[in-house]
Amino acid sequence: MRVPLGTIAGARSGDKGGDANLGVWVRTDAQYAWLAETLTVARLKELLPEAGEVDRYELPNLKALNFVLHGLLGEGVASSTRFDPQAKALGEWLRSRHVDIPEDLL
Amino acid sequence: MIRIGNASGFYGDRFAAVREMLEGGDLDVLTGDYLAELTMLILGRDRVKDANLGYARTFLRQLEDALGLALERGVKIVSNAGGLNPAGLAQAIDKLGLNAKVAHVTGDDLRPRFPEALTANAYLGAWGIAECLKAGADVVVTGRVTDASLVVGPAAAHFGWGRDEWDKLAGATVAGHVLECGTQATGGNYAFFTEIDATRPGFPIAEIDEDGSALITKHDGTGGAVTVDTVTAQLLYEIGAPAYLGPDVTSHFDTIRLEEHPRGVRISGTKGSPPPDTLKVCLNRLGGFRNSTTFVLCGLDIERKARLVRRQLEDAIGTEGLTWTLARTDHDDADTEETASALLHATIKTADPKRAKAFSRAGIELALASCPGFHVTAPPGDGTPYGVYQAAYVGRHEVRHQAVLPNGEVVEV
Repeated sequence: MRVPLGTIAGARSGDKGGDANLGVWVRTDAQYAWLAETLTVARLKELLPEAGEVDRYELPNLKALNFVLHGLLGEGVASSTRFDPQAKALGEWLRSRHVDIPEDLL
Repeated sequence: MIRIGNASGFYGDRFAAVREMLEGGDLDVLTGDYLAELTMLILGRDRVKDANLGYARTFLRQLEDALGLALERGVKIVSNAGGLNPAGLAQAIDKLGLNAKVAHVTGDDLRPRFPEALTANAYLGAWGIAECLKAGADVVVTGRVTDASLVVGPAAAHFGWGRDEWDKLAGATVAGHVLECGTQATGGNYAFFTEIDATRPGFPIAEIDEDGSALITKHDGTGGAVTVDTVTAQLLYEIGAPAYLGPDVTSHFDTIRLEEHPRGVRISGTKGSPPPDTLKVCLNRLGGFRNSTTFVLCGLDIERKARLVRRQLEDAIGTEGLTWTLARTDHDDADTEETASALLHATIKTADPKRAKAFSRAGIELALASCPGFHVTAPPGDGTPYGVYQAAYVGRHEVRHQAVLPNGEVVEV
């Protein structure tokens, strides 16, 4: 079913110098299995076309993935000309993107 | 068990939180984080104006209000509000005249090594704080220590942990990471905010056990929530690889176990390993001057209106250092003026303060000479200096981490 990712996933994002980090988590093991398989770096870049170089880390114990988006914020919060210079809302943007989620996970 | 609370996640956080945390229930230690990368820059500019400044002044006002209460209740205060001038803040606290035993931690300031930087501060660890507390300090103020150190230091001092008890240090580091952003652990900025009452979240508390495991909770009767989800959200904030590097320990975030508890969330199982041989340094330098304005473009021909404004401004001052973004917040055939409008953001970054000011003048001069419906969200100002952040790394032996005890004695950490 095509729904916003945030229907099942939470997220929190922030800044570390010129990089942004974006943590995404879900609440059940079945949802995590789906998330880990579905939300690859390539898929994340499709959903957030503004992303450049991205690293992805798995945290199955937290049912979470962590992405580091390199260089998104230029030279850091004080100098960034980005609309959201601390990447505070990056996670909410991702949650609002529509994806196909199996109905039994909703 | 030691009960450590947090009353601040940044310089500017809820002023009343120190008093609320002291009055709201039992605590052994109350911590507060005041230093973000950006804050170091702000304090650096304060210090240029007056060498006696450079610390978080609201913290001093919070203590003016509540230090007496903390002393009466036997709650130790540990904060990095010293910023660029922990000694100055310690003196100012002494001058409050409450006879508190005040200690401070120094050695993070590395400007001699990075003379071109406005601020250059190594991220120190927890052991300076621990020394101060073991010496009986009521208040410990530091400069740039890692946020988690504010929690690790008191726990390490309380339990007498050794510097190689990696799992315990990692457990306390994780608890510190959960606490360091205040209400972000208790339902603030929380993705599933509709499921809780997020109106006024209480500040978080970690009850840390001797093995480094912790119960994350908050005072009874405060708002927000502490659930596996709110704690997970904060664990994911500002991290990179699962091996989370710190000055005292590397904490392995992929080993953390979270469990719901009647009073909050239990954190256990965290594995630690030795820290890297280098310390991270936060460098801020002045990058130049910036100015920005937002043009409102309403109704028809949005793209062409944006092109006209851009051409006009660039004709007036040239293109160097200008960045443009057009946010298509407009809707077709909208029934309110606001939803019929798009926003054209223009920002200039330049080494020349005159050019930052010229940007403002050129923007204002378009008022009667640009696209139909031309207006701006706010008139542009004169432009402000901006900072550029950079991380650097130095060998840990190159940093002289010192604890200055309440009696003035200096201990090498």
